[in-house]
Amino acid sequence: MTLAAAFGLGLAATIFALQGDPGFNAVKLGPWLLWPRLGSADIDPYARAWLALDGAAPLGAGEGLSFVAREDQNGAKLDSRCDYIIAGATPSARVWTLTAYDVNGRLRPNPAGRYGLISTRLLRSGDGAFVIEAAREARPGNWLPLGQKSRFVLIFRAYDANASATTSGFEGLAMPSITRGACS
Amino acid sequence: MNWRRQRLDRALAIAPWILGGIFGAIAQHLIAILALPTLAPSSFYNRMAARLPLGEVALPPNPAHSAEAGATSAAESGAYPFADPFATLALCRFDLRDGPLRVRAASDGERLFAVSVRLADGTPFYSVTERQSPKGQFNILLVTQAQADDLDEANQDEPGQPLEATTQKKNDAADDERQDASEPAEPAASRAEPADELRLIVPKPRGFVLFRVLSLRESDYAETAARRSTISCTPEKLEP
Repeated sequence: MTLAAAFGLGLAATIFALQGDPGFNAVKLGPWLLWPRLGSADIDPYARAWLALDGAAPLGAGEGLSFVAREDQNGAKLDSRCDYIIAGATPSARVWTLTAYDVNGRLRPNPAGRYGLISTRLLRSGDGAFVIEAAREARPGNWLPLGQKSRFVLIFRAYDANASATTSGFEGLAMPSITRGACS
Repeated sequence: MNWRRQRLDRALAIAPWILGGIFGAIAQHLIAILALPTLAPSSFYNRMAARLPLGEVALPPNPAHSAEAGATSAAESGAYPFADPFATLALCRFDLRDGPLRVRAASDGERLFAVSVRLADGTPFYSVTERQSPKGQFNILLVTQAQADDLDEANQDEPGQPLEATTQKKNDAADDERQDASEPAEPAASRAEPADELRLIVPKPRGFVLFRVLSLRESDYAETAARRSTISCTPEKLEP
């Protein structure tokens, strides 16, 4: 009986610990989350277990930084029935990409065959500013297509980013805002 | 008085079982957390690298194509989750129990080219882009601590020997490609490491090397995949 209870409790604790986010020490920048240790040798055991279940190979600390957003600027869950404007400052990096996934990390099929945006090919105004529109229907300009499933996740990857791998180094980092527009 | 005593006795009799249960739960939880990274069949290493022959460079499928094919799960498409559609991946497995692994790759000077060394449990042990690498070229020798010690010892064995001999000995141990790097008998060449070689001591013997090339646009995949021809992972033997 004790053994069974111990097994059940242990299992429950393990499942609970590995749901949601990869471990501790998240850095939050507006709606964006970053786990700096996920890409370094001092990754914690919980993050390692989480990663093994997830099956991804995230950017190493020397490759760049990847930021995840599941919510908009106001804290509402991202929903592809709505339109979003993504604009503002970006961290200093050699190149960055922005990609929309379903919650399981799959790219979302869309008629345009466009799965993400890359900083080098964005349309920008004279001063270098950009506006990205994320929506199901095609938009002129920097359109990030959203798939049919309502829940989605955005990942912003800053390659060769100019930031140290310590938590304090991220405080001055600027990330674009995610503002919800009209919903259908 | 007696019934109170009885109740206390009973409580004391159960206590070890409850404590045992709690400790058992904690132990089981910790074991699960520590074992998952190596045992989980879903891990990147177990799905993509574990069955690769040593020395072979594999190219996972283009994530965008998998999406178009309407694959309903990552496992079905052979892809990996949260793939950057602009990044083309290549990987090779290492197992240093049989000897060091030499990794070579060359960037085209335009596209971002990143190399990361990851342990079998998923720990991203080392990562770098071509900007931090001399001339955008990678020449990394993965070794265990013991192999690193052997290499150092081999170089310190004959201090009285002329430099020529040390260089010759080193070339015997290495593959032919290394010869040009160590040809000039400069003081630097008397060490085991040629100037452009990065010797990396890996804490655990098994893992994989991941190469990431960033396309300039999505349709670039084929061009980027061609970079694979510059990548080689060669198991090396140490002199006994």
